[in-house]
Amino acid sequence: MPNPIKPEKSVITTCAYCGVGCGFKAETRGEKIVRMIPWKEGKANHGHSCIKGRFAYDYYNAPDRVLTPLIRSSINDPWKSVSWQEAFDYAASEFKRIQAKFGVKSIGAVSSSRCTNEEIFLTQKLARAVLGNNNIDNCARICHSPTQFGLTNTIGAGAASQHFDSILQADVIMVVGANPTEGHPVFGSMMKRRIREGAKLIVIDPRKTETVESAHCKADVHLAIRPGTNVAILDSIAHVIVREKLYNEAFVRARCEVKEFENWMALVGDDKYAPELIGPIANVDPADIRKVARMYAGGPNSTIYYGLGVTEHSQGSTGVMCLGNLGLSCGMLGREGVGVNPLRGQGNVQGGSCLGSWPHVFSGYRFVTDYATRSSFEAEWGVTLDAEPGLRLPNMLDAAVAGSFKGMYIMGEDPVQSDPNQHHVIAAMKSMECVVLHDLFLNETSKYAHVFFPGSSSLEKDGTFTNAERRVSRVRKVIEPLAGLQDWEITVKFMNAMGYNVSYSNPGEVLDEIARLSPNYSGMSFALIDRIGSAQWPCNVDAPEGTEVLHREKFPRANGLGTFMLTEYVPTSERTSDRYPFLLTTGRILTQYNVGTQTRRTPNSLWHPEDLLEINEQDAVACGVRDGDWVKMSSKFGQIELRARISERVNPGIVYTTFHHAKSKANAVTSDLSDWATNCPEYKVTAVDVVRINAPTEDASLDAERLEPAE
Amino acid sequence: MTLSYSQGAAMPVMALDRILLMANQIGDFFAPYPPERRAEGIRNHLRTYWDPRMRDELLQYIDAGGAALAPHVVAGAKLLQDESHAKPGYYGPPKA
Repeated sequence: MPNPIKPEKSVITTCAYCGVGCGFKAETRGEKIVRMIPWKEGKANHGHSCIKGRFAYDYYNAPDRVLTPLIRSSINDPWKSVSWQEAFDYAASEFKRIQAKFGVKSIGAVSSSRCTNEEIFLTQKLARAVLGNNNIDNCARICHSPTQFGLTNTIGAGAASQHFDSILQADVIMVVGANPTEGHPVFGSMMKRRIREGAKLIVIDPRKTETVESAHCKADVHLAIRPGTNVAILDSIAHVIVREKLYNEAFVRARCEVKEFENWMALVGDDKYAPELIGPIANVDPADIRKVARMYAGGPNSTIYYGLGVTEHSQGSTGVMCLGNLGLSCGMLGREGVGVNPLRGQGNVQGGSCLGSWPHVFSGYRFVTDYATRSSFEAEWGVTLDAEPGLRLPNMLDAAVAGSFKGMYIMGEDPVQSDPNQHHVIAAMKSMECVVLHDLFLNETSKYAHVFFPGSSSLEKDGTFTNAERRVSRVRKVIEPLAGLQDWEITVKFMNAMGYNVSYSNPGEVLDEIARLSPNYSGMSFALIDRIGSAQWPCNVDAPEGTEVLHREKFPRANGLGTFMLTEYVPTSERTSDRYPFLLTTGRILTQYNVGTQTRRTPNSLWHPEDLLEINEQDAVACGVRDGDWVKMSSKFGQIELRARISERVNPGIVYTTFHHAKSKANAVTSDLSDWATNCPEYKVTAVDVVRINAPTEDASLDAERLEPAE
Repeated sequence: MTLSYSQGAAMPVMALDRILLMANQIGDFFAPYPPERRAEGIRNHLRTYWDPRMRDELLQYIDAGGAALAPHVVAGAKLLQDESHAKPGYYGPPKA
C-alpha cells in the first residue's frame, strides 16, 4: 500500500503562531497538508520548531470551518448562506446606510496581527480611503502598543533593537514579564543555549515561570514582584545604577541628551526609589534589587527581553520607557549581544505596528496630523484623507456603548473573547447595527455579527509577516483557499463594493505600495525576499538587504540622540480589598496559542484541555480549596468558574490562569483599566476573590444582569 | 439617549467618566515635569492620540468647571484651544 502521508509537494512559508516567525516547509499530498518541517535556512529558527508550528496545523481543516459567506439582519436571526457578491453588497449597503444616518465617523475597522502585512495595510486603506475616517486599529493595541510608544520616546524605534542571534553574545540576559520557554519556545531554546554557555539570567515576573527554572535554565536572580509594581522595581534598579554610579557616562555623553539624563537621575536617584523602600512595596528582597542592578550594569553585554508582563498595565508605556532608560544609561544598545527587545505574541504584531493599522499614524509610524505624510498617501490613493486621529479599539467600544459608533469591520479578531471586561465588550457589540466579521470560524464575536466573510488560513494565501526581530518573511500559499478567496482579495473586493475602485493582481503589488509609502520598508519586495530568504527592516538604499542591529551610530530621532523619560511610579487603582483579596495575573502555555482559535481545534488540546487557576498552597488551605476542585473566581467586573491547581509557581496572594479556552471566559473578570498612553488593557492585574464550589453551574445564567448596556 | 442623532449634533462620543479617567492618567505621567513642559506634554498627547470628539468632550467639561480633573491636566488641555502651541511635525512628549 502506498504511504498515505508521503508528501508530493513542498512549499516554504512562515509559521503563523508566535512572534518568532519560524520558517517551515509545508508538505502536501493532493490538497492536504501532511507535514510541517522546520526549514533549516530559516534565519529566525535555523531549522528548529516548537510543538505548535510543527504539529498544530490541522485547524485549517476543522469540521466547523465556515466555507460560505453568511448574512443576517438581526443577531437574533439564524445565519443565511449567500454568495460572496451578496455578502459584499449587503455589508457595503449597511455601512453606507449607517454613515448616512450617524455620520462618517460612526464606523471603523480592526485588523489582526494574525493577518499578513499586506492585509493589515489594506485594512488601514479601507478605513482611511474608503470609510473616510481614521477609526482603524489593530489587536497590537491590546498587547504591544506601549512598546511602540515607550521605545519610540526613548530610543526612537518601537521595535526590537536586535536580531535573535544577538543573544548568543550576551553575558547577562534580563527577562521581564515574559516567559520565552513557553511563549516563544524556539527563541527560548536559543536563550537556554547561551545560558548553558555561562550567561547569567535575571527574571522579573510575579510567577515562577518555566524560564525561572527548568531544564537548562535557572535564573541567577528572580524578582517575584507583586503584579503592578514593574515601574517601581525598574526605577529602583535605576536608582542603584545612579547612586552607585554604575552608568556608562561615556555612552550617555556621546549618544544621549545629557540634560534629560540629568533630569532622569534626579528622579530615580531620589530616596523614594531606594531598594529598601521599594522592596516591601514590590514584595522582593532589597538586596536582590541591588544585585540585579549591578549584574545588568556590569555586562559586559547585557540584554533585555520583555513581554506583555511589562506592557499590559496602567503604566505599560512607562514600564517600556524604564527599559529604554536602563539600556541607554548603561550603554547597552547599538551592538551585538545587548539591546532592548519586545517578544511579540502573535506572528505579525511587529507588522501590525508598522503598517499603519493605528488611528494616529500611517505606515512607518508617521502621524496622520502631519501634512506632508498625509499628502503622500492622498497622492497614491487619490482621495482626501481625514487629518485627525480616529478612535482606538477600546474607544470604539466605549463609543458604541454610548451610541455614537454603529458599525465595525473586524478582520481575524475575536474581541469578545480576547478583550478585557467582556460584559462591556458584549454591550458594545450589541449596540452596533452592522458588525462584519472576517474569520475562519464562528467565534464568540460572531454571536453579535451581521455579516461573516469566511477567511483563508495562513496556509491558503500569499503575503509577508514581520517577526519580533523586524524580519520580513514570505507567507506562501500551500493549498487553495477553502472558501475560494484569499484574505487580501476579500478586503479588496469589499473596498470595491463600497465604491472604491482598486485592484491588485497579487499581494506582491500591495507590498510594492507599502514600500513606496513606508521608509523602513522601501527596499522590500517579494523578489528580494524570494532571493535572500528574509530581510529585517530598515531595508532601503542604505541597507538593501536589511539591518540586523539597530542604533549602531545614532538613534532614529530628529537629533540622533537617545533620551530619558521621567518614569514616576503611579500605583494602579486596581487594589485588593476585603471583598477581592487576591491579585489575578494571566499568561499562556507552550501547547496552546492565545484565545485558542487554532490550537484548540488540533490534538494539541490533549496537553492543555482546560484553563486552570493556579493558587498557592497557603491560600488554597485558607479558602478550603484542594487540587482539582472547581472554584468560582469573581472580580467587580464579572465571574467565572474553573478548576484550581495548587502551585508553587505563584506567591501567596497571587492567582494565575491562562486564557486559551473560550468556555472559561477569563476576560469576564479582567479589569477595564488601561495604559495611560495607549489604552492597552491592564490584563495583568485584577483583584479577585476565589471561592470553592461543588460543580460548575450552567454558564448561560452567569452575570445575566450585566449583559445589557447601561444607559 | 435618542436615536435621532445626526452628524454634528452634540452627542458625547463616549461616557464622560472614561474621558476624565484617561485624562487624569495622562496627567499622572507628566506630573514630574516642570509646569511648562508638563502642560505641553499633556496638550501634545491629547492632540496626537485623541479623536477630536474626545478632546471636545474634555474641553466642554473643563468649560463647565472641570472639578474632577487635576489642575495641571486642565492647564495642559486648555493649550489645545490656542493653535500657537501647535508645532508642525512635532507631536511627542515634552521637549527639553
